[in-house]
Amino acid sequence: MKKTLAITLILALFPALVSMPLSAQDRWDGSDELDVNPLECMGAEMMDDGDMEEDMDMPEYDGGMVAMGDSMAGMDIVVVDVPKLIGIGYFGATTLGQQLAAEELGNVSVSTDGPTDANIDDQIQVIDSYITQGVDGILFAANDPVAIAPVLRKALEAGIYVVGYDANSEPDARQWFVNQAEFNGIGKALIDSLVGQKGEDASFGIVTSTFTTPNQARWVSEMWAYATECFPDLDWLETLEAQEDAGLSFQQAQTLINKYGEDLDGIIGLTSVATPASADAVNQADVCEDVAVVGLALPNAMKPYVSTGCVRDVILWNPVDLGYAALYVLRAVVDGEFNPGDSSVMAGKLGELMVVNGSEVLLGPPFVYNMDNIDDFDF
Amino acid sequence: MQAEKTKPRNPTVSEKLRHLLISQEGVLFLIMLASVLFLATRTDKFLTVENLLQQGRFMAEVGLIAIPMTYIIITGGIDLSVGSILGLTAIVLGWTWQELGFPLELAIITGIISGTVAGFVNGLFIVRVGVPPLIMTLATLALYRGLAEGISQARSARGYPEWFFQLGQGELLGIPTQLWLLIIAVVIFAIVLARTRLGRALYAIGNNETGARFSGLTVNRHLLFIYTFSGFMSAVAGYIFVSRVSTTRSDMGTGIELDVIAAVVLGGTSIFGGTGSIPGAIIGVVLIQLLKNGLVLTGVTSDATIVVIGSVLIFAILVNNFIQRKRDES
Repeated sequence: MKKTLAITLILALFPALVSMPLSAQDRWDGSDELDVNPLECMGAEMMDDGDMEEDMDMPEYDGGMVAMGDSMAGMDIVVVDVPKLIGIGYFGATTLGQQLAAEELGNVSVSTDGPTDANIDDQIQVIDSYITQGVDGILFAANDPVAIAPVLRKALEAGIYVVGYDANSEPDARQWFVNQAEFNGIGKALIDSLVGQKGEDASFGIVTSTFTTPNQARWVSEMWAYATECFPDLDWLETLEAQEDAGLSFQQAQTLINKYGEDLDGIIGLTSVATPASADAVNQADVCEDVAVVGLALPNAMKPYVSTGCVRDVILWNPVDLGYAALYVLRAVVDGEFNPGDSSVMAGKLGELMVVNGSEVLLGPPFVYNMDNIDDFDF
Repeated sequence: MQAEKTKPRNPTVSEKLRHLLISQEGVLFLIMLASVLFLATRTDKFLTVENLLQQGRFMAEVGLIAIPMTYIIITGGIDLSVGSILGLTAIVLGWTWQELGFPLELAIITGIISGTVAGFVNGLFIVRVGVPPLIMTLATLALYRGLAEGISQARSARGYPEWFFQLGQGELLGIPTQLWLLIIAVVIFAIVLARTRLGRALYAIGNNETGARFSGLTVNRHLLFIYTFSGFMSAVAGYIFVSRVSTTRSDMGTGIELDVIAAVVLGGTSIFGGTGSIPGAIIGVVLIQLLKNGLVLTGVTSDATIVVIGSVLIFAILVNNFIQRKRDES
């Protein structure tokens, strides 16, 4: 009797096990299910600045509304910045940008606090605590777009101004989102760089953070869409997860090198940790000539590999500018200078930034760091 | 006449109180009270009903899992797979609902059953094959997380109907719904542990498993039960979690096992088995949550907060060890 029960229970788990290989017939590469919007192919009608297609109809503002209290235009405000996690170079750079902006503005005091792991539950709790504490504005980079939404709505209801950067939430849970680079722009830049180095039939692997991280999943989708359209002969070998962990990223890159050997032409790193780790793995395996490393990374981490010529292109936006722009946008909203329906906003030294997708502010096209310019940057 | 003289008299109220205060839980409770008072003097945002209730909402999942974890650690075992079971439950719930088109009620039940089965499999291997709990649950920590990622294909299920959020975001009589659940569970399972045969059997197993076997206790059945129970409670926590954050992700509950174990051990449960209690574990959960929240409110950043929590953990355990040793000597 007990045995029967045990067997029944195990059988109950069976459908779950069986379902895995069945649904795995889709590419399991960490892409998401959202619509893609690939850009024009490389060579065919070069786009000037990436924001040309926004000349079409401007979508309606779809951001949220802050509960109206007394206007704080021009008054000193206290802002807290809650990135995905603290203690890594990338968010150190966005923090630096915010500090620069705060210095220029003179009437904003901004501090950065966040979870020590990129954990959505911890992030929610940190934000909740700051709402209780009573700040005037919140900047955030979401660990999950949906899960973070309720706590941000709570902030808006409490009269706190909310602006996101780096990783978005549901649009109505914040007012504006500063988009560092559109996903299709990054997807195109990565694939173009790879094709430029290794040809249209290159075989490559990807090292990403996790399949559930929204930005990375989006890039994979856009890379796939762009490559399918423009370079159908590209051979997608495998996508490996490596958290945002340097040791693990190194191992995963090594796995790719060892597993595919001669067949591997390139590794694309999708996190600021995975790219230098992949470059390190390629460097140590002494296959710089055969394997091109392309990816998103902070310049400082990539300088050793770029200067020796092991890595040609590093693709990113400027995170200092990103943090800088986010605080300027928040200040403009508080001052009533930037309202729903506007098509651009002034962001200090960055000049005029365009509004895209209803309630997003675009920082600009992705930036390619290479041997010629990488030494001009220090972050 | 002789017998009457040696008969112990009933302890007076003050003696009872004294005994309670120098018990493990008593000392911890005093430490918690001190922390709360200290934090309350630093900021007026901390000791408000609204804030405390909100913290109650946040700690429900850890609290629920701490109950079976206390049982398991009392028997000298451990369950590291609870976070992964939580994630697996969340994914099965979202996936059966969105991909297989189950009615949401059925999807919830399926999710909880999967979690329970996952706990049962832990127990089965520990009891039948004799795999040490640490090894078995370390293996299933990875295995269940992998299952969750495999089933979900990295996609998250969103867009639940309004009623689904009642458990995680709603309130009942002004108190967060999941807090009611936690309170009821704590009361029931504290009594089960302290006042029933099952509870006593768990202590017996923890103190001397072989002895318990020879005294005719059905040790295997008890162990199988508590690991299954652990799966069940982790699954319920998973359901609450999904309802609270309104989406399912395969990385949900990552690392929660350490929060739970920290709270249970802080609550005076010996990692070697044989001693411990539910009230202690719950005070541990509450203390950690209030410190986390209170320190942020007083302007301490999160990275410094975890350092403080680690220090308080060591301090509390040291103080408790010291007092318990004194008590045993006297």
